[in-house]
Amino acid sequence: MKHCITISAILALTVSCTGIPKNTVPSDSVPSIFPDYTDVVIPANIAPLNFKIEEKGKKYVTVITGGSERAVISGQKVRIPQRKWEKIKKRGLIGIEVFVMNDKDQWISYRPTSISVSDDEIDPYISYRIIPVAVEAYQELSIRQRNLTDFDEKVVFANTMIQTNADGACINCHSYKDYSTDNMLFHVRQFKGGTVMVLDGKLHKINMKTDSTLSAGVYPSWHPTHEYIALSNNRTHQSVHSASHDKLEVLDDISDLILYDIKTNTVSVIENDSCELENYPNWSADGRKLYYVSYRYEGDYGDKRKNEMFLARETFKFNLYSKSFEPDTKTWGPARLEFDAAARDSSITWPRVSPDGRWLLACISTHGVFPLDQIVSDFIMFDLKNGTYRYVDEINSQYAESFHSWSSNGKWLMFSTRREDGVHTRLYFSHMDENGRFSKPFALPQHDPDFNREFLYAFNIPEFMKEPIHITPRQFASFISSTDAIPAKYESKRGE
Amino acid sequence: MNQKEENKFSVITTKARWVLPVALWAVLSFCSGPFLAKVEERSFFQFDLFWFYDFLGQPAGLLSWCGLFFTQFLHLPWLGALIWVLLLTLTAELTRIVFRISSKYALLTYLPAAIFTGYNMSMGYLIYLVNHPGFFFAPVLGYLWALLSVVVLRRFTKPATSLILILIWGFAGYYIAGVYGLAGVIVSAVDTAFSDRSRMGRILPAAGAVAVFILAPILFLGSTTYCLSTAWTLGIPDSIHGISLARMQLPIVIALVLLALAPVSRIFGELSDKICLRIQIASIVVLLAIPAFSWYKDRNFKTELEMIQAVEELDWEKVPKLFDQLAQDHESDPSWQPTRIMVALKDLALIKTGQEGNLGFGFDDGSMQQNTDNKVQMSMQVGWILGFHYGIPGFCQRWIYEESMLFGWSNMTFKYSTMTALLFGNTELADKYLTMLDKTIFYRKWAREQRKLNRDRSLLATTAPYDLILPLLCYDDVVLADQEGCETFIKRHFGGPSPENSTPLYDRVALYFAIKSKDPTLFWTRFFLYLESNNPHKIDRYYQEAAYLYSSIQKNGLLEALPFDDQVKDLYNSFTESASKFGPMNMEEAKMKFPANLRHTFFYYYYYVNNIKLF
Repeated sequence: MKHCITISAILALTVSCTGIPKNTVPSDSVPSIFPDYTDVVIPANIAPLNFKIEEKGKKYVTVITGGSERAVISGQKVRIPQRKWEKIKKRGLIGIEVFVMNDKDQWISYRPTSISVSDDEIDPYISYRIIPVAVEAYQELSIRQRNLTDFDEKVVFANTMIQTNADGACINCHSYKDYSTDNMLFHVRQFKGGTVMVLDGKLHKINMKTDSTLSAGVYPSWHPTHEYIALSNNRTHQSVHSASHDKLEVLDDISDLILYDIKTNTVSVIENDSCELENYPNWSADGRKLYYVSYRYEGDYGDKRKNEMFLARETFKFNLYSKSFEPDTKTWGPARLEFDAAARDSSITWPRVSPDGRWLLACISTHGVFPLDQIVSDFIMFDLKNGTYRYVDEINSQYAESFHSWSSNGKWLMFSTRREDGVHTRLYFSHMDENGRFSKPFALPQHDPDFNREFLYAFNIPEFMKEPIHITPRQFASFISSTDAIPAKYESKRGE
Repeated sequence: MNQKEENKFSVITTKARWVLPVALWAVLSFCSGPFLAKVEERSFFQFDLFWFYDFLGQPAGLLSWCGLFFTQFLHLPWLGALIWVLLLTLTAELTRIVFRISSKYALLTYLPAAIFTGYNMSMGYLIYLVNHPGFFFAPVLGYLWALLSVVVLRRFTKPATSLILILIWGFAGYYIAGVYGLAGVIVSAVDTAFSDRSRMGRILPAAGAVAVFILAPILFLGSTTYCLSTAWTLGIPDSIHGISLARMQLPIVIALVLLALAPVSRIFGELSDKICLRIQIASIVVLLAIPAFSWYKDRNFKTELEMIQAVEELDWEKVPKLFDQLAQDHESDPSWQPTRIMVALKDLALIKTGQEGNLGFGFDDGSMQQNTDNKVQMSMQVGWILGFHYGIPGFCQRWIYEESMLFGWSNMTFKYSTMTALLFGNTELADKYLTMLDKTIFYRKWAREQRKLNRDRSLLATTAPYDLILPLLCYDDVVLADQEGCETFIKRHFGGPSPENSTPLYDRVALYFAIKSKDPTLFWTRFFLYLESNNPHKIDRYYQEAAYLYSSIQKNGLLEALPFDDQVKDLYNSFTESASKFGPMNMEEAKMKFPANLRHTFFYYYYYVNNIKLF
C-alpha cells in the first residue's frame, strides 16, 4: 500500500497541474497515430480529427494547440471536443504533442507534429454507399450522407426498406447535378427497380432500358448546363480469383453510352459500337465534351463470350476518349483518342474533370475496367490546359485507389482507397494547390478513431454535396415501393 | 383440498421442476454438443463499446446483443446449456411468482420453456439460414423482458400514472426488445384487466398498451431501415430464403400468448384434485413431448457437424472415423447414403493424412439429400473450409464474404478470414480480424497464436494447418466461375493444367481428384506426374487399382510394366467374377450384393457408384 502511494506521488509530480507531463524524455520520432493525421492539410470546416496513439505505453497525454487555444487530452484514444476543435483550428496551424509513459514510468515526449488548416473550405456534406465486402450477396446496402463538419451520418436510403426475403433490391450510383441535392439520382435494381430521380426536389422513377439499348443506365454524369445525363449501359459479370490478392474480377462483356434527356424522357445512343466497350462517361466543365473510356474487343458474341473475356482479361487495356457535343442540338462529334493507356500497357478508368475544367483525374491500373478490385490502381492526372499528365504519387498507395470526387471549388479531392488493409475501402481527402499538387491524404474523421479498423463494410462512390438531401429515407422508400418506373422513349440518331 | 393432498401435488411438481431442467441440461450437453457449438461458431460477440453502440442504435438491437452475449458460452456446450436451462427455469419460476400461480400448476409455467427449447433444437439445417444475431437466446430474454414489464408496471396503480408509465415503458421496451417490448405491455394490460382495480384503472392501461402496440413500431420506423412489414416482428428470429413465417415466428408468438394467459388463470380458482392431477400429468407429457417431437434428430446432420468440428480441431484422424461409424450403423440399410459434405470432408481428411490412396475408396459413396425442406448449399456449409484447406484461398474468401453478408460476421468467418489473409501475406487485414477475435473470450488465445504467425510469416511453413496448404499454392492464379457448386469447382481446379512448379502434395491431390473423376486420360497424366514427383516406395492401393483397371480396359501394355500387388490382381479377378455373376444392377442393389472387401475397391466405384450429384 505504502509502495503504491509512493508511486502515485511520484507520478503526480511528473504531471503538471495542466495535465501536461513534466520531466519528459524526448524522442526523435514522430508518434505513430491512427489514422495518420500528421502533417496533413485540412479544411477549416472539418470535424475533429480524432486519432489513436499507436505507441505502447501505460499512460497517454496529447496536447493539441492552435494559437493560444489548447486541449489537453489523456488516453490512448484522442477525442477532441467539437467546441474546442472549432477554436483551435481557427489559427491556421494545429500543433500535436504526444506524451507516452513507458514501462519504466518515464514520460516520453514525441517530436511535435502539425496539421495545416487551409483557407479553402470543403463542401459540408458528402454521400457514399455503405456496402458489405461480398461478391454477389447484397442483402444490406445503404446510401448515407455525412456532415463533414461533425460526425453526423444519416441514411439516405437502404435497400432493406423495400426488399423482402424473396425479392432483393440493389441500389447504386447516386449522383448529383452541380453538387445540389435538388437534382440527383440513384438506381434501384431488380425488385421495384428503376432510376430514382429527384428533379427540382420532386421524385420520379424512370426505366431507361429501351428496346434499342443494352440496359438501364449505369454510371451517370449530369450535364453541367443542360438537362441531360450521360450514362453507360453495361452487362456486368464477375468472377473469383483462386489465389490472388485480387479477390474479384469484374468486367462488362458489352457496354455502350447513352444520353438521357430529362425534358423529353428520351434515351439516345452516344456510342454503341459492338466491338467497343465504352464506359464511365464524364462531362467537361463546359459540357461541350464528353470523356469516356473504351476498349476494342472483337470476340464472338456467343455463349462463350463471357468466359473467353475472363480468360483474356489481362489484355483489356482501356483508353481515354472524348467526343465533342453541341448541347443545343444534341449533336456529337467523332470519338477522339485522348490518352493511349494501352500503349503504356495500362488501362485507364473513371475519368473525372475538375469543376474549373482544368484537370482530369482518372484511375490507371494494369488491365480491366473495374480498378477497385485490383491490387493496385493508381491515380493519373491530366492538365487539360497544356495536355500533360502525371501519376499522382503523393496520393497513390500500395493498394487500390478508385472512385474519386472533386469538391465544388475544385480544391479538395475525396477518393476511396484500400490503403489501410487492401480490402475495406475507406474515404480519404487531399488538398490540391494551384499547381495541381496534392497534400498528404487524410482519412474521413470518425468519432471513434478505431472506426476504420473495426468497421467491416466498405465505402463506395463518395460524392460531395453542397447541402444535405432533404427527402427522407421513408419518403424514398414509400415512393419506390408504390411507383412503377416510367419507361423512357428511345430517340434514334438522325438518319438512323 | 387438504394439506396431505396438497403436499402430494407439491411433491410431483417440485420433483418435475428439478428433474426436467437437469435432464434437459444433460441431453443438451451430451447429445447436442456439436449443434450448440455450431450455433456459437456462427455467432460473434466481442467486448467492445463501438460494437455495442452499433447494436444499441437500432430497435431490438440490445436484445440481439444480449442474445449474442449468452451465445458465446455455447462454445463450451455444457456451459451454454447450463445457462440456457437456468434461463428457462428463471422464466418459469418468475412466471409462477409474478402471477401467483399455485405450485400445483407450476409445471404449466414451463410450457414456454419447452416451446423455446423445441424451437431451437428443431432448427437442424435452418441454423445455416437464420440471419438473426443472438437468435438462440433472444426469445427467452425477450420473454423475461415481457415478464419484467408486468412486475414494473404493476407497481403503479393510479390510472393516469399507470397510463403514462405504460406508454413510456412500452416505447422504451420496443426499442430495447422489439416485439417482446410490445408483448410486455399487452401482458401487463391483461394482468391489470384481471386485477381488482377500478374500471378506469383497468381501461386506461389497456388503451395505453393498444396505443403502444400500434404506434411504437410506426414511430421507430423513421429511425430504422426496416420494411414496415417487419416492424411488428422485430426481435423474432428471421431467415433468408423466405422460410415460412409460421416456422420462424409462430412458436415464439405462442409462447408469448401463453404468458398473456397467465394472469387469466386467476379466474379458474380452486380445481378438483382429479383435475389437478390430470393437469400435472398432462403438463409433464406436454413438456416432454414438445422438445421430443420437434428435436431435429437426423444422424447425417449430426455426423456432418461432428466432422466439421473435427476439421476445425485439425483432428484429421477423427473425421473418417466418424464417417465410418455412421456407415457401419447403416450397414444393413441399403437406402442410406452419406451426404456430399461427409464424403468431401472424409476425402479432405484422408488427403491431409496422406491416406487417400489407400483408404479413399474404403467408404461408401453417395449423395443423400439433406433431410430438410430448406436445402442449404454445400458452399454455405463448408465452402470456405474446403477452399481454404485445398489451397484455394480466393474461393474460401469469397464464401466467407457471402456468409458474412447474409448472416453477419461470426467467429468462424473471422477465423478463416484471418487464415486466408495470412496465406495472402496481407498482415494489415489479418491484424484487423485478429483485433476482433482478441476481444472475445474463447478465441483470444487462438488470435494470439495467429498474431505470432502474422509477425513472422516464415513460421507458416511449419505450423498447422498452413504447412499442408502452402504446398498446394503452387499454381498460377486463375479466374474461375464457381457457380456450379463447391465440389465441382474444386474438382475442376485440380483437373486443370498441371502447374509448372507443382509440388508432390499438389500432384497427390490432383491424382486423387483425377481418379474420382473416372477419366482415364486425366488419370494417366496425373498418375505419371505423381510417380515422378512423389517417387513412392510403393504405389498406393487405389492408384494401383485404377491403373490396373484402365490398363485392362485400354490394353495399353502397362499391366506388365507397372508393379501391381498380387492383392490388387486378386481383387480385380474376384470383382470381375462377382460382377459377371450378379449381372447388371443399380447402386442400391450392388451395395447389398457385393461384400465389403469388393465394395471398397476402385473397380466397384468405377462401375457401380453412379448418379452421384455433386454440389
